Amino acid sequence: MSNNKHWQSFGELNNSAAFQKASKDEFQEDLPFVSENESFLDAKAPRRDFLKYLGFSTAAAAIAASCEIPVKKAIPFANKPEDIVPGVANYYATTYVQEGDAVSIVAKVRDGRPIKVEGNDLSPITKGGTSARVQASVLDLYDTARLRFPTIDGKEVTLESVDKAVASSLGTGPVVILTSTINSPTSLEVINQFIAKYPGSRHVQYDAISYSGLLLANEASYGKKAIPSYRFDNAKTIVSIAADFLGTWLNPIEFSKQYATGKRIDEKNPSMSKHIHFETVASLTGSNADDRFLCRPSEIGAVAAALLSAVNGQGVAGILDAKLKSGIEKAAKELVAAKGASLVVCGSNDVNVQIIVNAINDAIQSGGKTIDWSATLNYKGGIDADFAKLVDDMNAGAVGALFIQGANPAYTWYDADKFVAGLKKVKTTVSFNSRNDETTASCKFVIPDNHFLESWGDAEPKSGYYSLMQPTIHPLFKTRQWQDSLLKWSGITTTYLDLVKSYWVAKLGNEVAWDKALQDGVINPATEVMATALPFNAATLSGALAAVSAAKKGGKIELSLYQKIAIGAGQGATNPWLQEMPDPITKATWDNYLIVSPALAKTLLDIDLSNGGQSDDYEVHPEKKVVSVTVNNKTVQLPVLIIPGTQPDTVGIAVGYGRSAGNGKTADGVGKNVFQFASLSGGTVSFEIANVDLKLTDDTYTVALTQTHAIYNTDQGNRTEVMKELTLADYKKNPETVREEREEELKPFGGIEKFETQGTIYPYYDRPGIHWGMSVDLNTCTGCGACVVACNAENNVSVVGKSEVARFHDMQWIRIDRYYSGDLDNPKVVFQPLMCQHCDNAPCENVCPVAATNHSTEGLNQMTYNRCIGTRYCANNCPYKVRRFNWADYTGADSFPDNQNQQLVGKLDDVVFVMNDDLSRMVLNPDVTVRSRGVIEKCSFCVQRLQEGKLKAKKASRPLKTGADDEWDLKVACQQSCPTNAIVFGNINDSKSAVVKSRVDNKFREFYSIEQVHTLPNVSYLAKVRNTYDEAEKAEG
Amino acid sequence: MHLKYESQLREPLVYGEKDFHQVTEDICRPIEAKPSKLWYVGFFIAVALLMFGFYSIYSEVTYGVGQWNLNKTVGWGWDITNFVWWVGIGHAGTLISAILLLFRQGWRTGVNRAAEAMTIFAVMCAGQFPIWHMGRVWMAFFVMPYPNTRGPLWANFNSPLLWDVFAISTYFTVSLLFWYSGLIPDFATIRDRAKTKLRKKLYGIAAFGWTGSTKHWQRHESLSLVLAGLSTPLVLSVHTIVSFDFATSVIPGWHTTIFPPYFVAGAVFSGFAMVQTLMLILRKVYGLEDYITLGHIEAMNKVIVLTGSIVGVAYLTELFMGWYSQNKYEGYTFWYSRANLFSPYGWSYWGMMACNVLSPQIFWFKKMRRNLFVTFFMSIIVNIGMWFERFVIIVTSLYRDYLPSSWSIYYSPTIFEIGFYLGTFGLFFTCFFLFSKYFPVIAIAEIKHVLQTTGESYKEKVGGIEAMQGEEFAHDYAH
Repeated sequence: MSNNKHWQSFGELNNSAAFQKASKDEFQEDLPFVSENESFLDAKAPRRDFLKYLGFSTAAAAIAASCEIPVKKAIPFANKPEDIVPGVANYYATTYVQEGDAVSIVAKVRDGRPIKVEGNDLSPITKGGTSARVQASVLDLYDTARLRFPTIDGKEVTLESVDKAVASSLGTGPVVILTSTINSPTSLEVINQFIAKYPGSRHVQYDAISYSGLLLANEASYGKKAIPSYRFDNAKTIVSIAADFLGTWLNPIEFSKQYATGKRIDEKNPSMSKHIHFETVASLTGSNADDRFLCRPSEIGAVAAALLSAVNGQGVAGILDAKLKSGIEKAAKELVAAKGASLVVCGSNDVNVQIIVNAINDAIQSGGKTIDWSATLNYKGGIDADFAKLVDDMNAGAVGALFIQGANPAYTWYDADKFVAGLKKVKTTVSFNSRNDETTASCKFVIPDNHFLESWGDAEPKSGYYSLMQPTIHPLFKTRQWQDSLLKWSGITTTYLDLVKSYWVAKLGNEVAWDKALQDGVINPATEVMATALPFNAATLSGALAAVSAAKKGGKIELSLYQKIAIGAGQGATNPWLQEMPDPITKATWDNYLIVSPALAKTLLDIDLSNGGQSDDYEVHPEKKVVSVTVNNKTVQLPVLIIPGTQPDTVGIAVGYGRSAGNGKTADGVGKNVFQFASLSGGTVSFEIANVDLKLTDDTYTVALTQTHAIYNTDQGNRTEVMKELTLADYKKNPETVREEREEELKPFGGIEKFETQGTIYPYYDRPGIHWGMSVDLNTCTGCGACVVACNAENNVSVVGKSEVARFHDMQWIRIDRYYSGDLDNPKVVFQPLMCQHCDNAPCENVCPVAATNHSTEGLNQMTYNRCIGTRYCANNCPYKVRRFNWADYTGADSFPDNQNQQLVGKLDDVVFVMNDDLSRMVLNPDVTVRSRGVIEKCSFCVQRLQEGKLKAKKASRPLKTGADDEWDLKVACQQSCPTNAIVFGNINDSKSAVVKSRVDNKFREFYSIEQVHTLPNVSYLAKVRNTYDEAEKAEG
Repeated sequence: MHLKYESQLREPLVYGEKDFHQVTEDICRPIEAKPSKLWYVGFFIAVALLMFGFYSIYSEVTYGVGQWNLNKTVGWGWDITNFVWWVGIGHAGTLISAILLLFRQGWRTGVNRAAEAMTIFAVMCAGQFPIWHMGRVWMAFFVMPYPNTRGPLWANFNSPLLWDVFAISTYFTVSLLFWYSGLIPDFATIRDRAKTKLRKKLYGIAAFGWTGSTKHWQRHESLSLVLAGLSTPLVLSVHTIVSFDFATSVIPGWHTTIFPPYFVAGAVFSGFAMVQTLMLILRKVYGLEDYITLGHIEAMNKVIVLTGSIVGVAYLTELFMGWYSQNKYEGYTFWYSRANLFSPYGWSYWGMMACNVLSPQIFWFKKMRRNLFVTFFMSIIVNIGMWFERFVIIVTSLYRDYLPSSWSIYYSPTIFEIGFYLGTFGLFFTCFFLFSKYFPVIAIAEIKHVLQTTGESYKEKVGGIEAMQGEEFAHDYAH
């Protein structure tokens, strides 16, 4: 190495001063942030901070510019409340109360919002069952049409001022508290205290659909103006005369549960209860009956009388129709044969008819067996005559003040005009109703009541059985419980909460018991009360029989007004879920209509359903003919639906429609009000009209139906692979009928055992671990539709409105298919709940070009919304047609702005916007994605519940339990809601699970829908067995 | 080709006293002249339809597929019907250019250019439907299997719809290349004749610097042959794959093994009908009767009657199998939903039968095959019939499938479904009008080849020779 000095420039070589300066100041400008005299790191913003700031601000700018900010309003918990963990649901036991109906429920509360109600397993009445209306009630809490503050003459006021105004106007005349039936002991206490304070006041109970006839008949027969408990589970023979006890009569949840026990089949020892039904217009109960016979509305009394005489061995008299006559004879024979284990119920509101029914029940010794007087049913207590008198008093100016709670006579009373006229003559009118309904609109003072999920309270649906109510959310609006108002006006300073608490603490003995009761939600009798009978007093019977036989005969066509399961007397009309729930019988949504029989359709509409072309034409076009219906010079124009199972000379119309605009956009303009057709006869309101004029118009009207075809026996063969049903006689003869049929169907592909491997050219894969499966018992499914609404609530299923349902764009994930078989005029009906079958060889999965739908290792057919590009190929290739496509932006979740104002095609109904309101959206389940436009969705087997259940088991370090020893880590929404436990769900790889048990115990009845397609569904069905006379009839004819 | 000997008895493929220059003049005339009023009117209508199509798609993309009347049971309707219809139409072009080339059918040269253009435009139209029928078309790129940042997500190669993506895009690419490579020498001819600078420049670019050297011709010929070889299987594969959309499904009426040959025959059938429609107008308007002769028209009518009959046999086979299989679901679809005239969609099946099977039988008569009016009328009828066929397959199978509970209400299109379809007509004709104005509608170079062997003037020239007896010819030849 030499020591040569290497230089880079002449300056360096010479090392001149200029060079030295230049090299020292190589970077001539100061670095930013560094001041002259400080060292670099002493600077306020040194270089590495500069880099930090640079990085942060770049990142912040990038985030602000490019990322969507999903949450607009988020309010953090400043102090986290105890027991509330974000993302973890809390459950509170409470009570659903609506116009006398009271059902024990458990409310699921997520982050302070109730989002779902489920049945309370601890209630011995419902045993965890619910109905469609109970399931939908949580949406009422977030109804945009709820009144949000007290008003005087429609102007907003404070509670204090309304209290003052009401207090000052009291005392000028008797006060009448008009309520729907109240079965809450503490509420009755509140009313009594008020009446004590204002002597001369009275409490009138009013039921839109009254049970006065039954109550008064029981008073005459048993000396008790009450309704006994019915024990359908103890009945081997059930005869119903137009009582829709599975749908709308008293408490269908309890009755369905009881009814199902008689319908559940034990394969080893098959026996079933027998249900014979007489009815005028096809109802849910009639459709479930083993045998149904049709009578005119005016004949109901005659049928009861004939049945009585037949039961007494005196033969059937006064019935001309041969089928009906033989039906009565058969019913009488069955009733007598099962004496002491049989039951007759009747839906008539006529005292005389109910007295006759009481006599029948006495003759067949139902008392203490199937009719239990130890506990009365307190759902309905209104007496029509009391209310009629009140209306007269009001019109006479004899009422000083009227407080209205839960009743809406201006809509539901047959002579609503008279009631409204009377209301105008009452000086002080106060409404506690939560909507500006027909009655409230005419009231001076309005103090809206809390929703039951915001309220304290209790209920005694059945005497001795109590259900407690506690709030699950702070009142959303400036509302107050009506009990608090009454207490205040009575001059009592305690609040209703204190009253409820002190009442129950006193009754239960201590506060611990009260806490426990509140937690359970129910207070039951310590021991099961023995069923008791009351002696039957026959004094009024002969009078009743005479009255019935003297009753006016009906005209050419008669009309029967009925309630729909979802809508009731109009209570459900404001609820989008209920409006969009297809009626189990007609499969129609969003309307009422005239129901006619196929026979009447021939003469009235010139449509012959037995003619293939004409029935096709009727089915494929949702535009139905319009008929004008005239009763007593009152005319309503309604579209016509042809519903088999309706008496040929009878037509039916559902009440509960045609609500005023004050009820909100959901109900407004939907259907027509037909309460005006009812009449007061013999002191009770009658919903049977003996004479009606029908006139076909040239108009058509679109009815939004979700199912158009109902017969699986087609021109080219009976599609028995879809649905299997048989009679009990056939089943007893050969229990393996269904299995043999399946074996035959699958024979070309290796038979049942080898079908899975030989029905395909693809290799077989085993399925270890958890494998989800479902079993649906068609024998116990009544088709009530609770599961449909439960699924809507659990899975954020969009409400699309009538216009979209009419275009076959409904979104429900579970539907209940209704099939007819046999006689067109009076067919057998079977209901089949159909959801995604989660096929292990799913046709939808392999056709998706982007693999947006695929199979999980647990057997779930999964849908990945954000991968879906919306080709709809999967929906086309689904043999069950359970996939639903988001045809428009129903949820507002789409990123396209202004895309809900369709004008030319597919204009969305108001209800879609109602459901997209910030208030309505509070009901959404945060565990389930809200789907946006353009993607397919379908039943996920409530995958969010499955995950939660698995986690629960995992945290407890034990295997998952789905019904093993009746322990459940999870239940899917439809299963949970089912009042008859027809749906069983669980792990099919766990031999102890309920679903496996259901399949193994019923292996002769088990089938898979259209299994020959080799979809290998994970949903199995148990064939419907009917305890019908068909066998005998076959032998005869 | 030059070695080809063609019998004097055969009809000449080019009429008139043509030399090469005359051919060039005839074909280049419309390109170099101002368009006629009729052209402007037609072009305006086409663009208007295209705009309506844009609006229809805009509405559908903005508001959702609910702008169409499809429903929970009928998931495809006019959209996929039109897709299959347009793809089918495209087939004639490829068949003419590829298969007929391999089979040495000289008559193809008169029509192949326009037919290939038709193929390309039809495939462009067809492609619109699967794209815009998607609920979230902005995510359409998910179907592309390319390395991406979305983790292990990959297109589903089991899906026939994905096969479609490849089939159609391959088909489009090959057809376009084939078409364009044929155009190069002709563009060069126009370039060489160009009188304005712009024209020279644009056609110059389009001609890729073609000089007509022997080397160019040699490469051109080999490329044509290679592309013809590539196109030939495509004629069969594309519609086979389209038919897989249906054939591989489980829906009665779709799940049918006969579909691939039946679809291909149907495609050729409708394609030739469309070629007829266009050629009859084109030869009239541009005065190309000497090049697109009655002989061409007759030849294509023969193809129509053949493929129409194949399709007819397929229809009958389906009906037979619907009964013979004793499958009640298929029986219902074929015998009730379709063959029963009084069922809700019975009209579409019998419309199809009448248009596709019965009416083409008229072409067994030579007089009819050579009648321009009959041909034109029939070409329209066949295209309507083939539209019905696709509608029948898609809608009548879907609207009543396995579970009677899910049977659909009557499906009929909304204004936007119709608008979309009309829009593709707009696209097709806009392209076709531009093509007919700026591109040589007959392959100049290729027709010149044909001219040498089968032109009328040539035939006249050699006609005397052919009429000679053997000795006479030998005698002459010796001289």
